[in-house]
Amino acid sequence: MEQQLDLTKLSESDKKELNQVLTNEAQKSNIQQTVHHLNEVCWEKCITSKITSGTLDKSEEACAQNCVDRWMDTSLSILSKLDSMRGGPGH
Amino acid sequence: MSSLFGSGSAAPIQTSEEIKAAVMRQLQQEAAMSNARSLIGKINKHCFKACVPTPGTSLSAKENTCLSSCMEKYIAMWNTTSKTYITRVGVETKRLGGQDAAAIASMATGMPEGGGGIMG
Repeated sequence: MEQQLDLTKLSESDKKELNQVLTNEAQKSNIQQTVHHLNEVCWEKCITSKITSGTLDKSEEACAQNCVDRWMDTSLSILSKLDSMRGGPGH
Repeated sequence: MSSLFGSGSAAPIQTSEEIKAAVMRQLQQEAAMSNARSLIGKINKHCFKACVPTPGTSLSAKENTCLSSCMEKYIAMWNTTSKTYITRVGVETKRLGGQDAAAIASMATGMPEGGGGIMG
């Protein structure tokens, strides 16, 4: 699977394009990591009864969606709180 | 496709275009593999917890059935989580001025299509 790739042979425009692709992939990977983390948190909160089916029932689906949205609310709330603290009392 | 598995006799890649394509392919493969590995690890952790409360000398038929449902359920939930999260990030980005709309759009393509897609 490993190939010897002579990166010095890349043209400037291809280098630029690869750079962009790399940036996008890194961003995608970040998002996926966040989704993995969120899914873990929400799985523990929402899947509380015995597992009898391979699909989400209505209440589990709703719980999963609420869980993600409330987690985002929490994150935004903390950020805005921090922001006002940084501004200090004189702000 | 056979050159992908790099038998030593394959002709060395020459042009910039070919090198770029090979790097991109490798990058995407490694990213997909890393994502799948994370998912498998988490399924293992959570489904073991949910389906095998007291480990016996072997997995019972019931435990096996539970594991298979659990795996499907975990992936179903992953897809819901991903969709909800990406939608929300899009909403927030727009609210904050939408500078990063292109980046958000590129995230959406990272979603596995359906349950089986993530393993592909």
